[in-house]
Amino acid sequence: MDNDTAIGGPDGRFPSTQLSLLEATAAGLSSEAMDRVIALYWKPVYRFIRLKFRKSNEDAKDLTQGFFTSALQRELFVRFDPAKASFRTYLRMAVERFAANQHEAERRQKRGGDVEFESVGEQVAASESPEQAFEREWQRQLFSLALDDLRSHCEKHGQQLRLRVFEDYDLADDERPSYAELAVRHGIPETWVTNHLAWARRMLRGFVTERLRGTTSGARELSEEMRRVWI
Amino acid sequence: MDLKDSVVDHLRHVAGLPDLTSTRYELKSEIGRGGMGVVYLARDRELGRDVALKVLDLPLAGEAQLIAQLEHPSIVPIYEAGTLPDGRAFYAMKLVTGMCLDRCLARRPTLAERLRVIRRVGEALAFAHSRAVIHRDLKPQNVMVGEFGEVYVMDWGVEAVAGTPAFRAPDAVLDQRSDIYSLGAVLQSLLPHSVPPALQAVVAKAMDADPSARYPDVPAFLADIDRFEQGLAVEAWSEPLWHRLRRFGSRNAVLLWLLAAYTFVKFLLFFLRNS
Repeated sequence: MDNDTAIGGPDGRFPSTQLSLLEATAAGLSSEAMDRVIALYWKPVYRFIRLKFRKSNEDAKDLTQGFFTSALQRELFVRFDPAKASFRTYLRMAVERFAANQHEAERRQKRGGDVEFESVGEQVAASESPEQAFEREWQRQLFSLALDDLRSHCEKHGQQLRLRVFEDYDLADDERPSYAELAVRHGIPETWVTNHLAWARRMLRGFVTERLRGTTSGARELSEEMRRVWI
Repeated sequence: MDLKDSVVDHLRHVAGLPDLTSTRYELKSEIGRGGMGVVYLARDRELGRDVALKVLDLPLAGEAQLIAQLEHPSIVPIYEAGTLPDGRAFYAMKLVTGMCLDRCLARRPTLAERLRVIRRVGEALAFAHSRAVIHRDLKPQNVMVGEFGEVYVMDWGVEAVAGTPAFRAPDAVLDQRSDIYSLGAVLQSLLPHSVPPALQAVVAKAMDADPSARYPDVPAFLADIDRFEQGLAVEAWSEPLWHRLRRFGSRNAVLLWLLAAYTFVKFLLFFLRNS
């Protein structure tokens, strides 16, 4: 049996290795913190701009890139006050301001003429608001990154079997296989299937927590964000 | 490739469930979600009984130990506390069957019954204060009334809890007087529309924006409730003379009636003798 506690020590607990945004800023590690923010928020920001300002794919990408470049230059974290809003809300409002200013500048350049909004097929069908889309993308990206972390961990510690059981079951698009089917498929007892799933879910939760910890201001905001993630 | 919405939702659910494999408990269902975490119905495999298992969002050292010190008939006893493999703290406690105080009001209890519940809540609070523990989030949803009338105060707070706005004291730092404010707010929520002014005054004093103008402690609050129930003047209200006379009248109704009857008979005899 492979060692499942390599990351968490002998008692299997998941250690906290990530600095919060404020801790990172205080420690002069703003650029590392910004890397984490960009990894988690690039897609939500892109999607938000695309829906809110009805931008084309390329324009939305440019604006997203422009926003993060500007955020780096203007020291986004220094202005963030956790007492007023969560970092996620603060970031979304900053994106909205930035994109609105860019949009206005674009309009002026065209000497007052109306900017032609590009029709985006998906937004017509979408029933959710840009804010809801932002939230949804944030959750999707959070889990995608945590899954990447889990895969790297399994690769590094030789726990591919656990990962495969987890992927076969929890990442199944359509109908999930039964535990008995999974046991046959991987040549393991059925009890191992439940153990492997419990282990992988626990680790995934840990990686999600770490990703959140690195993109929130501290314990209080982290706790609030956790409550939004788990259902 | 992007994760599908259905997969994200599934992961949000399964990775959120507590991993109880290293414990003696078996998850049965979710009971409710509170300010600090989720409460599950779980089965204690070793003792063969159902328990309420509270899983906190984050590791919060000390909360369970804090509550475990509070052995009181109106405080739900803690059976066991621990940490799950994912770092979350949990504690198993007695499974209380009944309903929350706010839902009890639908049964239209009498004023005396409402005050009885407040007294039980106050006694639990006073006991906790004597152990230097404050609740921080007292509200009707955190008070459970059992089927035999037993009252339990639950969800004893920790630092991270900010309180529920309608019941939270407007104090910068929460202390015992903040709990007294919340107790007053709970009493207010229990009272029917037409309330005697003395009881209104008790609520107003407990909920004063200035902490120093509130009752100094829970026993002082309870003493005023007792005085109200016995028909005595409450400390919270300097009542006008006519009200004092009326209260005197209602407290001594029998004596006054006897006195009136005696005077009437005497007057009648005097009248008959002289006519």
